[in-house]
Amino acid sequence: MTFFITLLLVLAIGSLFVVPTLEDIRQNIWNAEMRYSLKLSLGTGLISTILVMFFALPIGYALSRFHFWGKGFVKTIIDMPIAFPELVLGLCLLLLFGNTPVGKLLSALGLTFVFTKKGIVAAQFFTALPYAIRIMKSTFDYINPRIEFVSRSLGYSMAETFKNISLPLAKNGILASTVISFARCIGTFGTVLILAGGSFMKTEILPITLYLNISYGNMGMALTSGIVLMVVSFIAIFIFEKTEVGL
Amino acid sequence: MNFLGVEDLHIDLGEFHLKGVSFGLNQGDYLMIIGPTGAGKTILLESIVGFWNPQQGRIWLEGAEITHELPERRNIGIVYQDYALIPHFTVAENIAYGLKKRMKRGIDDKVRDIAGALKIDHLLHRKPDTLSGGEQQRVALARALIVEPKLLLMDEPFSALDPRTRRETRRLLLDVLKRRKITVIHISHDLNDAWALANKLAIFRDGVMLQFGPMEDIFRRPKTRFIADFVGASLLDGRVVANDNGHCTVDLGDFCVASIDAADRGNEVLVAIRPEDIIVSTEHPAGISAQNIIETTLHRVVPEGRACFLSLRANETELTVLVTNNALHQLDIAPGDTVYAIIKSANVRIVNQAHEGNVCS
Repeated sequence: MTFFITLLLVLAIGSLFVVPTLEDIRQNIWNAEMRYSLKLSLGTGLISTILVMFFALPIGYALSRFHFWGKGFVKTIIDMPIAFPELVLGLCLLLLFGNTPVGKLLSALGLTFVFTKKGIVAAQFFTALPYAIRIMKSTFDYINPRIEFVSRSLGYSMAETFKNISLPLAKNGILASTVISFARCIGTFGTVLILAGGSFMKTEILPITLYLNISYGNMGMALTSGIVLMVVSFIAIFIFEKTEVGL
Repeated sequence: MNFLGVEDLHIDLGEFHLKGVSFGLNQGDYLMIIGPTGAGKTILLESIVGFWNPQQGRIWLEGAEITHELPERRNIGIVYQDYALIPHFTVAENIAYGLKKRMKRGIDDKVRDIAGALKIDHLLHRKPDTLSGGEQQRVALARALIVEPKLLLMDEPFSALDPRTRRETRRLLLDVLKRRKITVIHISHDLNDAWALANKLAIFRDGVMLQFGPMEDIFRRPKTRFIADFVGASLLDGRVVANDNGHCTVDLGDFCVASIDAADRGNEVLVAIRPEDIIVSTEHPAGISAQNIIETTLHRVVPEGRACFLSLRANETELTVLVTNNALHQLDIAPGDTVYAIIKSANVRIVNQAHEGNVCS
């Protein structure tokens, strides 16, 4: 059974590489639309990943180490986007950042997310954050809290202990979380489509390129963007497996 | 005022809790805490070091209240059963870790000194995961001791060690502690640790401190059957039938025993007798000073390393006796044989009847 399912997956992934010709890929990868899409994907993905990790580290640590009132509720809410369809998450964000007081306030501060590039970052951020938090929480769960206790008893503050002990011990988890977040950000489609829109060469990232070109019937471009996305995911999963930190 | 004072401490962490724990220690005291798993022993240590905030109660150290002081400001060392060494540091870095917070120069000399005293100076460049359990334990001890803590807390530090390493580590610890007047609280399941190291003992169960006091007191006068079982004493129900100049005679049902302890005639009491305080003879002895000579039947022999426990019965009343294997061999006795239990009245201790619960003094 395992081998059968694995074989099916290998065939499905393989067909992505077998169907287009090398010439198709070569032409499409240097196409202006593809270059724009790749650049925007990498740029927004990078910014989103930095933001995701900036929040995931302390939230993951707090969920792992501290007991506080409403912790169960917080965990459920943070995990919800994992179970949400991306389109629904995008719709929720569109409503929040649209004509609500929150949206108006952020707009006044220069942070307009609806149908803008900033919206891509927001959509990627909210899609990837739950995964990053879960990895960081399980990473800190694996670290013996007594090592941190001993560090405190030896005279180091909580912040110093986090820097000297927790962070170095969590480095594999941080790497895994960063890589998975980046892959998740690069691959986010539904949330981006609803919040930032799928405008040609404006808010067009790789998954949008794939979607738009499938719609036009331009299979070469669609398959090339699929291959680029697949390569990014493959590298991410490879690094993730090497660091041996599971969700 | 006590060097360390714990006053009516209440902590509730859901699965584990402490209920109204109070005790005091003088500087240089060595308190051994024993009790079953889940009794709240570790929580007590972790609340003294400052990792848990009590819901109620206060903790005092050297006359200052430290109940809500941050752990890093208390100067209390802690050593865990699983050592909690920092895996990405070398042995030397682990030992020096606390010292680096306190001084800039002379760290290497101090690390070499303590490592030499604990016989780990040849391991200084190794990583913790390449060390044996005994070596890791000594690194953890060195790391805690090098900063000269006011108080050292140890949570089952020898439990993962084999008997030989345990004896060796115990001896090294005593040598180091002798030179520094450090007050120690130590959790253990091994009464040999208590005999070898401690001058005070506390028994815990279900978050409650059942009894606290000098070692001899608890070993000779356990207040409840639970404590008696834990410290290995026989605790028998009886009634005082005579009281003569402070000496009394207690009827245990199947026989009477004389004790040098005072108790009012007619009182219901508990009588505690340590297994090592009973002498066994195959013949009724004559011309000896012991006041209690009881005819019994050997019921069972339970080997315990180089010694064994004999279970002696006089009808329904059971006495437990500790004898060496050599002594048993010389006695040449087997279950069913008649033997005489000889007990000095000084070794028969009267304990006031207490309920199983918080009877802490």
